[in-house]
Amino acid sequence: MFKKVLIANRGEIAVRIIKACQEMGIRTVAVYSEVDSHSPHVQLADESINLGDPTPSESYLNIAKIIESATHVHAEAIHPGYGFLAENPDFAKACADTGIKFIGPTPEVIRLMGDKIEAKKTISGADVPVIPGYHGVKQDLSTLLKEGKKIGFPLLVKATAGGGGKGMRVVHAESELEQSIESAKREAKSAFGNDSVFLEQYIDRPRHIEFQILADEHGQVIHLFERECSIQRRHQKIIEETPSPVMTPKLREAMGDAAVAAARTVGYTNAGTIEFMVDGKQNFYFMEMNTRLQVEHPITEMTTGVDLAKWQLRIASGMELTIKQNDLVQRGHALECRIYAEDPSNGFLPSIGTLEKVELPIGPNIRNDTGVEANFKVSPYYDPMLAKLTVSSENRQESIDKMIWALSHYVVLGVTTNISFLKKVLEHPEFRKGNITTHFINDYFRDWLVTKEGLPLDALIALAVYDSLHTQRQEVVRYKEADPHSPWQHVGRWRIGV
Amino acid sequence: MFINYEHNNHVYNITVERRENQFFIVYDNNEYTVSATELKPGQLAIQLGDRVIKSVISQGGDNKFVFIDGSIFKVKRIELTGRKTTEKKEGDLHSPISGTIVAIKVREGSLVKKDDVLLVIEAMKMEYLIRAPYDGKVKKVHFKEKEQIEIGQLTAEIKKEVE
Repeated sequence: MFKKVLIANRGEIAVRIIKACQEMGIRTVAVYSEVDSHSPHVQLADESINLGDPTPSESYLNIAKIIESATHVHAEAIHPGYGFLAENPDFAKACADTGIKFIGPTPEVIRLMGDKIEAKKTISGADVPVIPGYHGVKQDLSTLLKEGKKIGFPLLVKATAGGGGKGMRVVHAESELEQSIESAKREAKSAFGNDSVFLEQYIDRPRHIEFQILADEHGQVIHLFERECSIQRRHQKIIEETPSPVMTPKLREAMGDAAVAAARTVGYTNAGTIEFMVDGKQNFYFMEMNTRLQVEHPITEMTTGVDLAKWQLRIASGMELTIKQNDLVQRGHALECRIYAEDPSNGFLPSIGTLEKVELPIGPNIRNDTGVEANFKVSPYYDPMLAKLTVSSENRQESIDKMIWALSHYVVLGVTTNISFLKKVLEHPEFRKGNITTHFINDYFRDWLVTKEGLPLDALIALAVYDSLHTQRQEVVRYKEADPHSPWQHVGRWRIGV
Repeated sequence: MFINYEHNNHVYNITVERRENQFFIVYDNNEYTVSATELKPGQLAIQLGDRVIKSVISQGGDNKFVFIDGSIFKVKRIELTGRKTTEKKEGDLHSPISGTIVAIKVREGSLVKKDDVLLVIEAMKMEYLIRAPYDGKVKKVHFKEKEQIEIGQLTAEIKKEVE
């Protein structure tokens, strides 16, 4: 096992990994930018290195600085967490070139899975269903029309260089196809300077279900069941759960087998996640692979009892997986909410400021992963996720009840958070029933406002009491009246400094 | 003591008198007599009749955050000056977000056309553009590049061009 590991990340995930290392007797090195110098991850680590300028490209994304730091402190391995450099093949390669173990898969696998089209091509070769589509280089209209008709309708035309919905069209009938391709191409040309498009079958209101993988460096691959991650805003997950409310033993086996096959095909090592889209008829399609530890990994840990962060360290140090697929059981149900400093009634705009008070809910089967504390400044430099709240119970309904309780006792004051919003989502009858898709927030919470009802009476009473206790009185009580026995009573008129 | 609280463009008027740990509160023509204990700074247990209101309150700058019954409200204490405080002028040049000014595209005295970009604010890896609400002349730019801006702060002022 490693003796010293550098954690190239910040916030809750850095804290999570440092704790795993410390439990295993591994020394930890934190890196931080100037604005994070008092952050919990820095305080917790055994050593820490200042990367300087808070701009990500100068700190947490700066490959040269991080490699140099690791060399300087003789760290044998680097854990990248998620985000930042976690899925950067150049970083993984730079580690390897310097003789530092990158805790994750090989640079080649990261590069392959980072190319979404190449990834789909490779994975479809392993008998894993991918969304039927055309990703070819031939871009003339007659080829695209022919391929489009082959796929059928509804169909999605999407710019190869795309992003943010630009150069994207949903085509409902053959008669619209030609015009949609042409307009998507025009838009793609002006937005990205590249008019190349691909065609895919369009799945309306899919679920997003992913499978956790662990693969050692000796050819063993297991999956640790699914996570349902359909509740998203701005294409980012905010609530995740396992098991998925639509999962059946048969579907789980098929998807689990597909996930393991996908990982084997690319020679995957360490922890990873295979993301699938699932349609209303329980057809599933490979979407992409995340070559890192996921934000939502705690729900898998709470239902399987497996510590994924520790296994990442063991696998990277060359140990064999000792967990067998058949030994794994999913027990109960777990739910995770991501606590963001953002304003759900204002387009989920991030909110920055100083956290005045932080009090976390404590109770049976409640897990807090957090990288912030009172007096922490939420800066505009990094992702506004403050913490994760995970609960587990015997079944889904009990998990929802427990989560609502925990959110109701979650105190973060100083910035606007999404806590009230999360609670409203969990209380929604369709969520209770498990009828969730990636469009859930858009379908039911499009124009949601935190407080349509205004300030409740109890809040006004509390404010009045608070201000009454904390306002300096205008008419300050004179010292003479305050204490009749004070020696000042007998001083008479006098002045200082005369 | 007479206090006005603003929340979501609504103003709440309230009076409170304190005698020892008894508080006499009048709101909306109703009087409430409560007793209160501050358990920790900002953490209140308020006895109102036969029930207890539990609340946590923090103060950051002008704003107060009130945690009550699982919900959090952001409230501002204001002084009423007889003017409506919620009026919104044409062409709002207040920042919609807290962040960093990454670019300033105009100078004081510059002539701008409606929808010209005046400033670019970056927050959490996203950019927000402040555009000219009408044709005019830049009277004042309140920030410099790389400066921090808070939500609601005035970015710039433009004198409307009258032909």
